[in-house]
Amino acid sequence: MKAVRIQEDDFSIEAEVNALRASSKRIGGIAIFLGCARDFSEGRNVFSIEFEQYAGMAEKALPVLRDEALARFDIIEARIIHRVTTVHAGDQIVLIVVGAEHRKPAFEACEWLIDELKKRVPIWKKETTPDGDTWVTQHP
Amino acid sequence: MIKVLFFGVIAEKLRRHDMVLPVKAGMTIADVVHAAGCEDFKPLLVAVNQDQVNNLNTPVKAGDEVAVMPPFSGG
Repeated sequence: MKAVRIQEDDFSIEAEVNALRASSKRIGGIAIFLGCARDFSEGRNVFSIEFEQYAGMAEKALPVLRDEALARFDIIEARIIHRVTTVHAGDQIVLIVVGAEHRKPAFEACEWLIDELKKRVPIWKKETTPDGDTWVTQHP
Repeated sequence: MIKVLFFGVIAEKLRRHDMVLPVKAGMTIADVVHAAGCEDFKPLLVAVNQDQVNNLNTPVKAGDEVAVMPPFSGG
């Protein structure tokens, strides 16, 4: 199972954490970011979210992010999985798992990775609402 | 020729996901954006051969793949 993936299928947090832990017995702290689909956004109900990607560029950008995180922070391993499909409220969208000897760099790298992913990976979401479909253009 | 790709709201408004443009001497990314009818989309992100490019004066050449993209909203 590759450490960095873009896929339609759902993922298992447990399987990803186990894969991360199997990479090194030196890992003492693991930070996880899980992004999920909400049923409410910008003051409207959201029925579903459809994702689109620029496949070649996104597949290039994600491993670069992981490599940069490994170089920038005192961490041992990082895994990034992003779904590109149609999801509904409560569904899992993105998972970042970071392992380090200690918690602080794991937390810092995890936050950095999701922030950079939003800025640098060409994935877009379109929300289906009672007022019609809306492309999400800005993201806090 | 240059292949131009569109994504997200831009593809939806243009009603197409790609087009092919003939290369002209001295052609830049800004020329591609204009020829593709995308100059009114702001903010706009551009990638050439899958690498993001910030300078719209960057020259393009035959065989390049230029992506015209709205801001990313993954995650």
